Amino acid sequence: MSEYDLERVTVLLAEDSQFIRSLLINSLKILGVGKVIAVEDGGQAIEFLQLVKEDPMKAQCQKVDILLSNWDMSPVDGMMFLRWVRRHKLSPDRYVPFIMITGYTEPKRIIEAREMGVTEMLAKPFTISNIAERLKSIIERPRQFVHNASYFGPDRRRQAVPFEGENRRFLTEKSDSVEIVRG
Amino acid sequence: MAKGPVKVRLYRFQNRLKDKCAGLGAGLASIDPKAMAEAEAALQKMSEDYPDWVSGLLMKMQEQHGRCVDTPENRKDLFEVINHIAHDMKGQGGTFGYPLITTFSDSLYGVTEMKTGIEDNHVELVKAHIDAMRAVIRGRVSGDGGDIGAQLTESLNKAIEKHVGAGQEQN
Repeated sequence: MSEYDLERVTVLLAEDSQFIRSLLINSLKILGVGKVIAVEDGGQAIEFLQLVKEDPMKAQCQKVDILLSNWDMSPVDGMMFLRWVRRHKLSPDRYVPFIMITGYTEPKRIIEAREMGVTEMLAKPFTISNIAERLKSIIERPRQFVHNASYFGPDRRRQAVPFEGENRRFLTEKSDSVEIVRG
Repeated sequence: MAKGPVKVRLYRFQNRLKDKCAGLGAGLASIDPKAMAEAEAALQKMSEDYPDWVSGLLMKMQEQHGRCVDTPENRKDLFEVINHIAHDMKGQGGTFGYPLITTFSDSLYGVTEMKTGIEDNHVELVKAHIDAMRAVIRGRVSGDGGDIGAQLTESLNKAIEKHVGAGQEQN
């Protein structure tokens, strides 16, 4: 098995705690990520993404490949940032993988982030293996994006698990009202 | 192509990120195990700075606690600040070998969730948590802390019982 070459990968990290920020920059760099751009909250992250779109030379970055964001930050927290990325018309890439870091592990919170279109969650306290697993999942198993009346984001059906309750999954990719867009 | 009015669109893109990361070999790949080991070692090294980071946050909390005492009318906002700091702290204690910090800050996080009816006893309870965490950091009480850890946990639990109990009697 070969190793990933992450040298050309750019990660944008939004984390308000200086300690955790330097910890994550350090870890990602050692894991081989070529470029880590770190900002202090969701607002700065949005500004940076806009700068990349408008003036990549000035941003010194052509494309951000992965977003890694803490949830609890102010003034713009991770959920607001995620919402902007997935739904705002100015968002330069609505499909970009988004990893949310959080100390909130209550199921309600996880579902909230999932419904907003998060790609992966990274629970605190995290280890290097946790970070590496998330990166690997994003690189190796990207999910199709689903857009319907109430949701936009990566497919929430990760596995075909037998389900006891009422079947609300009526549509398949062969249904008349499903359109598949390839790119 | 959909034949009727579209209710769902599925976007399937080529895996460009994987193409970018493929390096020389195609097919299954993983993160370099050597880099993983190095990153683990670096994390270990950083954990030496963890007590200083926590001390800094405890000082901030202490300041907010002082304000809770001096300006009771601002307690709601001050509790919110303490709540955020506790949330920040509880995340990484386990990673750096200080699970007691995670336990205590998690408890403090719970205490400072309240938005109304913040009484003196709740403010006292914040102090008890700050003191317990200070003791953990001052004594570098890592792991479960053995006897010292058990004592600190017990005295914090007593404080919770005392102050919360008192609060309930008042209500």
